[in-house]
Amino acid sequence: MKKKTDQVLLDRLAQAARTGDISRRSFMHFAAAAGITASAATGLWGTSAAANPTPGGTFRWGVHDGNTSDTHDPGTYVTRQMIFLAHTHRSYLTLIEADNSLGPDLATSWEASPDAMQWTFELNPDASFHSGKPVTAQDVIDSLNHHRGDSSTSAAKALLTDVTDVTADGDHTVVVSLARGNADLPWLMTDYHFAICPSNGDGTIDWKSGDGTGPYKIDSGEFGIRWELTRHDGWHGEGAYFDKVTMLVLNDPNARQTALVTGDVDCVSLIELKTLALLQRNPDISVDNIPSGGAITMPMFCDTEPFSDVRVRTALKLAMNRDEIIEKIAFGAATKGNDFHLSPVQPYWPEDIPQREYDPDQAKSLLKEAGQEGLSVNLSVADSVYTGAVDMCVLYAEQAKAAGINIKVVREPSDGYYSDVWLKKPFSAVSWGARPTPDVMFTLAYKDDAAWNETRWQNERFNELLLQAKSELDETLRAEMYHEMCLLMRDDGGTLLPFFNNWVYARGKGVKRHEQVAASWGCDGARAASRWWFEA
Amino acid sequence: MSAFVIIYYTLLLGASCLAAYFNKRSAFLLLFSLTLVSFILGIIGGVSALRIVAILAGLLGLSAMVSYAFREFLIAIASHNLAKELRTAPLTAAFGMFVIFTVAIAGIFAPLIAPYGEAQVITSAFAPADANMLLGADQLGRDVFSRLVFGARNTVALALAGTVMAFLLGALAGLLAATTGGWFDQALARTSDVIMSIPSLIFALLMLSIFGGDLANDTTSFWLLTGFAGVVGLLMVTAIFENSIVGWAVGLAVLVGVSTAFSGFMLIIFNPSEIILILVVAVIYSPRVFRLTRAVAGNVVVMDYIEAAKLRGEKTWYLIRREILPNSTAPLVAEFGLEFCFVFLLIAGLSFLGLGIQPPTADWGSMVRENATLISFGDITPLIPAAAIALLTVAVNFVVDWMLYRSSGLKV
Amino acid sequence: MGDILGLVAKRLGMGLIILLVISIIIFFMVELLPGDIAQAVLGQGATPENLAALRKEMGLDQPAVLRYLHWLSGAVTLDFGNSIVTGASVAQTIGERFANTLFLAAYAAAIAVPISIVLGVLVALLRNSIFDRVANVATLTSISSPEFFLGYILILYLAVKTGMFPAIASLSNDMSFGDLLYRTFLPALTLVLVVTAHMMRMTRAAIINLLASPYIEMARLKGTPPWKVIVKHALPNAWAPIINVVALNLAYLITGVVLVEVVFVYPGIGQALVDAVSKRDFPVVQACCLIFAATFILLNLAADVGSILTNPRLRHPK
Repeated sequence: MKKKTDQVLLDRLAQAARTGDISRRSFMHFAAAAGITASAATGLWGTSAAANPTPGGTFRWGVHDGNTSDTHDPGTYVTRQMIFLAHTHRSYLTLIEADNSLGPDLATSWEASPDAMQWTFELNPDASFHSGKPVTAQDVIDSLNHHRGDSSTSAAKALLTDVTDVTADGDHTVVVSLARGNADLPWLMTDYHFAICPSNGDGTIDWKSGDGTGPYKIDSGEFGIRWELTRHDGWHGEGAYFDKVTMLVLNDPNARQTALVTGDVDCVSLIELKTLALLQRNPDISVDNIPSGGAITMPMFCDTEPFSDVRVRTALKLAMNRDEIIEKIAFGAATKGNDFHLSPVQPYWPEDIPQREYDPDQAKSLLKEAGQEGLSVNLSVADSVYTGAVDMCVLYAEQAKAAGINIKVVREPSDGYYSDVWLKKPFSAVSWGARPTPDVMFTLAYKDDAAWNETRWQNERFNELLLQAKSELDETLRAEMYHEMCLLMRDDGGTLLPFFNNWVYARGKGVKRHEQVAASWGCDGARAASRWWFEA
Repeated sequence: MSAFVIIYYTLLLGASCLAAYFNKRSAFLLLFSLTLVSFILGIIGGVSALRIVAILAGLLGLSAMVSYAFREFLIAIASHNLAKELRTAPLTAAFGMFVIFTVAIAGIFAPLIAPYGEAQVITSAFAPADANMLLGADQLGRDVFSRLVFGARNTVALALAGTVMAFLLGALAGLLAATTGGWFDQALARTSDVIMSIPSLIFALLMLSIFGGDLANDTTSFWLLTGFAGVVGLLMVTAIFENSIVGWAVGLAVLVGVSTAFSGFMLIIFNPSEIILILVVAVIYSPRVFRLTRAVAGNVVVMDYIEAAKLRGEKTWYLIRREILPNSTAPLVAEFGLEFCFVFLLIAGLSFLGLGIQPPTADWGSMVRENATLISFGDITPLIPAAAIALLTVAVNFVVDWMLYRSSGLKV
Repeated sequence: MGDILGLVAKRLGMGLIILLVISIIIFFMVELLPGDIAQAVLGQGATPENLAALRKEMGLDQPAVLRYLHWLSGAVTLDFGNSIVTGASVAQTIGERFANTLFLAAYAAAIAVPISIVLGVLVALLRNSIFDRVANVATLTSISSPEFFLGYILILYLAVKTGMFPAIASLSNDMSFGDLLYRTFLPALTLVLVVTAHMMRMTRAAIINLLASPYIEMARLKGTPPWKVIVKHALPNAWAPIINVVALNLAYLITGVVLVEVVFVYPGIGQALVDAVSKRDFPVVQACCLIFAATFILLNLAADVGSILTNPRLRHPK
């Protein structure tokens, strides 16, 4: 975030503003980064912007995956209901813009020490909670500490293990110190757990009241049923065109679909892919099919027979016909996987790694070489992993027969899948949400000592590169390292990655969005309520 | 006015007149009211509505003919006494028997009838019906007709096994409770109250979550089955041998052998997760059967001829087998029909919650669930397995109705 | 009358014991479920460290029996404790939802019970006629479709295609009663279709069962018209089995409607129970199950009392 006047950036910004690829807020931010003054930037925006959002209306939003026993505790956010709600009534230090770049939220700017071991965030002095209390450094510190320390019950604890201290430098400056350099810390701050809540003054945060600093404040609501929100007038950001937002939890796919078709809601967060083609025929409905970084993985334990032999792992990878799976399971709404956990919409994606194709003959010969002809394995899966996950595994089992592999699909109960099957059974299917950068993803699930190293993969070179890349501020060098890591994952790793699933959501008549939408979550990075508007 | 409409009304009116001429009151009423209704339908719905009526009437006529032929066929091949019974069967019961017969044939000879394998992927997703695939393909490109045939085998076998086991346990306990009475009766009655007070879906959810994961293996299911068979057997031994110690010893030895053999046999037919499902179903439904049996048998036990038999010094087992059971079969059979359908639906409901039969095994309930959302777009794919479930349920209950009717002794 | 009061008292006492037994069974079943609350809450995000911290915070480090006794000591004073996951009191968590469930059950029952009894009497009168067959096939077909599927079909024809009724039955506080009835019509109709067949068939069977009795013969021989025979002579003696099956179905309307709630997004208690089971939130599961069990016991008791009151021979035992 070095400040210098940059004509190329300015031109690109103007172009982006014209095509509606960029919000006014990020435009202002990048314009500032490009070194022009606020008033000049405002003028530039006015001449370039194509889309012209109109304020007003109540946005009725049907969301899937809500549970009665959800809470406002950011540490245990897990359902989509809470993730969407969090992005609507709370704020984060940074956010992912509609063009998938990093943008400012509560922090207006951030800067790293040269070794990336210390990060300084400047807070927006105008930001306030719905209760009227201004946002101070203390709120941020306590909110981050909520996910740290021995007594923390947060699911995001693992992300902040490297953080040694969070301190204030005045009312509006927060300094995060790390045990080792991490060039991606500002990206990490976009994780949905790190919502900023008001401090209680004793080092804890008040998450129970549902107070936040987001674009909408909660009027009333019930977990797992519905939420009513009104625009927060003192919001520090741009957007939030709707006057009111109603979130309805619609867990049943048919209920979501019919509610949208009959006009009972304006947007649904997920549509069943089986009916994708049928729904697209409806002229009153626009379906958004957005490639994402979320992935379906099939981890194999690299320390367990027969997966301990890399030839067996490769044979299993070769025995999958990904094209057929994408056609029949995802109905085209997916990006083909190449057995490394980095999607084309994410930063540092290596484009020149050849795609792995279905090759049962080669798989057969690899197995022969490994002395594992007629291999027979169990593959665990649950319905909750992904719509059609069980079918996907059944289809894979059929495909693998051509390579002489006998895969027995075991449908496990959805209930308790992640506590009893994942990380416990040697071959299973798992769904991963998008992580903002490869570093976060690799550190969470592929590093040798990671708690969620789902493949129990131990690769020295990979771990060495991972640590180097983490603190590398030179982009080119970093990209090369990720390239090599991806190759290692693909050829040696234990993850079979069928595809990256798209976000598939749908809007009713009259709901407009900018041309580009964020890929971090469904519904425009979970920020539909503050980014979209009704056609006048 | 198209030729179809003219022929339609001509046929209807002609048939009505014939019926009136031959003094067939109900047939005349039916035909003539159908004519009147058709006038209104024709005005509102046009020719297409009339076509639907004609198709429905055709189907009805066809099934009536099939039922009639099937009944005559059964009478022709049955023994003299059985044939006499069968002659009393109304057409609906004959229809029911025909459907049950068809499903049984489909189930038993599934691999021979189905053109493709149960899990075999042959074409693209949701491919339309053609000469090779009578009913088109499902999402994975598997033949729906083949899966329907295999589904008959899996679903019916499962529901039947569950219902039979529920009846074994429930009816035996009920008969014994009614005959012995006292604390034994009370203990069983209160146990059944407890199980019945827990909603069945929740009970199934809890039990399947407990036993559904790693516990669904051969060893666990073997022991559970043996335990179940042991309980049933124990009830039987109690009834047969009462107070004879030698009898008990012999009985227990036989019991161990039989229940082990039974469990081994079940494990050959079903896989462990299916066995767990069957057991859960049996445990949930046996209290209902128990209550009914106890009530019915309770009415019989107070009859004079039972008193007389008791005074003669007959044993409990004799009383149950020779006196009580023959006099309470009818309501039990009726209950069997209804419970069989409920078990069917419970299994379908469980697969809606993601618990149920393991893939890629085809069962009708999950075939409905898999494609249920398509119904909102007027796609009939999910209607096919749903219709199969409905048809079998209706068929079973038609037969049950006939048996009930016969046992009620009503001649009108 | 004294006998009946005695019976009621005895049955209520027995009911309390049954509830106690059920609470023990449910507690240990929830304990036996794979995974615990902490794992369920953290899901994919669980690590040994945060699991340990969360277990401590939730008091899961105490032995199971102690936790049960602690819950029981509250429950006997009608304090069902707090949800372990959300910390909110159980009464608050499920109170309103239970009211919603009761409303829907009452709505469906108000339609289904009269219809099925009238239909049952009619088909008994017109037994073996076309009308009897059609009514039988129709009701059997409606109970033999899985209820979620029945809901989908109703939504397709009555909501999506014709727009007569709303597809989702979401409630808000400022609804008028008429509006409420309108919005919840489809789920109520689904339930009606589900329960009618059973009650109708039982009414029919109970009446037909009596038609061979000598006193009915007598009435018929006297020249009483068939409808009068059934309504005046058969029906009064058929009430007992009818009341029993009605009670059974009322209990089902309250305890068995999870799937209908899911399909129509109706905020009832069933969904809360399924959610609580998936989170292993024992106090909520326990409270829901006990409410269900109590409903079942009370309805059964009411049915038995009803049978006695409607049957003179049972009212004055020899």
